[in-house]
Amino acid sequence: MIWLTWRQHRKQALFTAIGLAVLAALIIPTGLAMRGTFDRLGLTDCVAKLGTAQLSQTPIGAGTCDAAFREFNGQYRVFGMIGVLFLFLPLVVGLFWGAPLVAREIEQGTHRLVWTQGISRRHWALVKFGMVGAATLVASALYGFGVSWWMTPLSQAGQLTRFDVFYFDMQGLAPIGYTLFAVALGVFAGTVWPKVLPAMAATLAGFVGVRVALTTLARPNYLPAETLTYPVQGAIVQPNTALGDWVLSHGVRDAAGKLVAANAEIMCPPNATGPGASCGADMGVGAGSYNWQLFQPGSRFWAFQGIETGIFLVLVVLLAYFAVRRIRRIS
Amino acid sequence: MDMVLETDQLGKRYGGNWALRDCSLHLPAGRVAALVGPNGAGKSTLLHLAVGLLRPDAGTVRIFGESPYANTSILADIGFVAQDTPVYRDFSATELVTMGGKLNERWDATLARTRLAQLGIPPDKPVGRLSGGQRAQVALALALAKRPRLLLLDEPVASLDPLARREFLQSLMGSVAEAGTTVLLSSHLLADLERVCDHVIVLSTARARLSGSVDEIVDGHRQLVGPRHGGEPIRGVAEIVRASHTDRQSTLLVRTNGSINDPAWTVHEVTLEDLILAYLADGDTNTNHEAWGVPA
Repeated sequence: MIWLTWRQHRKQALFTAIGLAVLAALIIPTGLAMRGTFDRLGLTDCVAKLGTAQLSQTPIGAGTCDAAFREFNGQYRVFGMIGVLFLFLPLVVGLFWGAPLVAREIEQGTHRLVWTQGISRRHWALVKFGMVGAATLVASALYGFGVSWWMTPLSQAGQLTRFDVFYFDMQGLAPIGYTLFAVALGVFAGTVWPKVLPAMAATLAGFVGVRVALTTLARPNYLPAETLTYPVQGAIVQPNTALGDWVLSHGVRDAAGKLVAANAEIMCPPNATGPGASCGADMGVGAGSYNWQLFQPGSRFWAFQGIETGIFLVLVVLLAYFAVRRIRRIS
Repeated sequence: MDMVLETDQLGKRYGGNWALRDCSLHLPAGRVAALVGPNGAGKSTLLHLAVGLLRPDAGTVRIFGESPYANTSILADIGFVAQDTPVYRDFSATELVTMGGKLNERWDATLARTRLAQLGIPPDKPVGRLSGGQRAQVALALALAKRPRLLLLDEPVASLDPLARREFLQSLMGSVAEAGTTVLLSSHLLADLERVCDHVIVLSTARARLSGSVDEIVDGHRQLVGPRHGGEPIRGVAEIVRASHTDRQSTLLVRTNGSINDPAWTVHEVTLEDLILAYLADGDTNTNHEAWGVPA
């Protein structure tokens, strides 16, 4: 059975290996170049200077670090966008590894060949799921931690926050959960719609649906969010971007706590003059108003990664269980 | 007599439609049986129930006395070639033989290789690029390499040209005769199988119409030609299978339970093919004028 699984899936394994090699060829040189620039500009010290306080007195952009951060971010701005393309890789694996696993057998009638040899369908399913699952695990772990490594300088320089939607989803543990889920969903879809194309379509729709729903509805609430307030007028302080917090919403509230300006941040020095000196008074920001933000602290990054991955692993186990049950009923 | 295949009131339903219903039959060991019926009569369903791919919705099916559904120990004794002879098309014949060795405890790779060599099948070419006849031979070789006690073949010759049909059946008979394997092979054309089978099962519209050895069946039926028949009993006739009438004359195909000595009737022997056609024509077709919106 192990021989058969390898023989049937060696092409997919080869393509996956090629894909990973291409990814490595892309991220290793650029990752090293980024790190080189990062060190050359002395950004390690700048990041250390930002400290771990929730509000920083010297915002990014102050002093000598200002130019360094600006130069680094200017040079590598485009990388963050290229990175978003990696988001689709788990889905691709699910479509090409998972969906055909059962669907192609039934579409071509070969299930009647392989299920009438001397082994049970359960045995067949468990070996197939096990081997394909293990290969998926290895590939997605290489991908997840490779991208993590690649993105570290970008996150540290404040170019992007690794906790933000999209960047969270393509590094660390999360891609392992997504990729295994995509494969399991593909396999299960193949047992429900035993044709390759409908199974792929169902996998696509199901994967995007579950991912979007969990990301927008569930993830912000994995742990109770925290709030941060800081004055509108007074000494210049602002949230410390080096912490990598995930800002869920922010705005300006008045003294009574009512949100007067959503998605806004107002900072003005005491006794300001010139344009903007009204300090938001024209927008209804009166005395006693303060900046407010609802956020998940950056220190929770790995906790959230673990929770997200755990949810998807539970889904994987459920899908695999139902797939085996359905396989036993297919004729 | 040892029974290889026994079914009792066997039924299988897809949604609301019975693909097979009230099917009770026996297949003794050592027979080569033809499973005959029009398309959609339930032949594949019966074979899939026999090999354990399907679970019965009614009644029972027993192979060597055991239920075959999800029963791997029985699978070792059954060689099965499904309709359209499915094989992994990107595998070479050699790889398929290797695969069989990995998936079966009892596996005679030498037998498979010898067969394929005799038939001139290229060993390293993907079987998807072989001709239909060659692919059918590969599938048969895989089934035979299990050294099965029962061989089930679902329309094995349907996709072959007449010459390849004959070759396929000849090579099949050559192999099973030595081992005494029981064979059940289906076809919608009796002519394909008439030469090789000694047992017949006729299915029509989900029911078994006729089952037995060829000799008994042919001996047990007669064609009678005589004056127009109004339904009165004839001595020696158990059942009128089919009747056709002209103004003065009736032609009856009957199942007999004794000799027919009535001088009013001329008695003819029947061929197996006529007999089966009569039974198939007897199976009422389900009309659906309403579904088509046409008057009946």
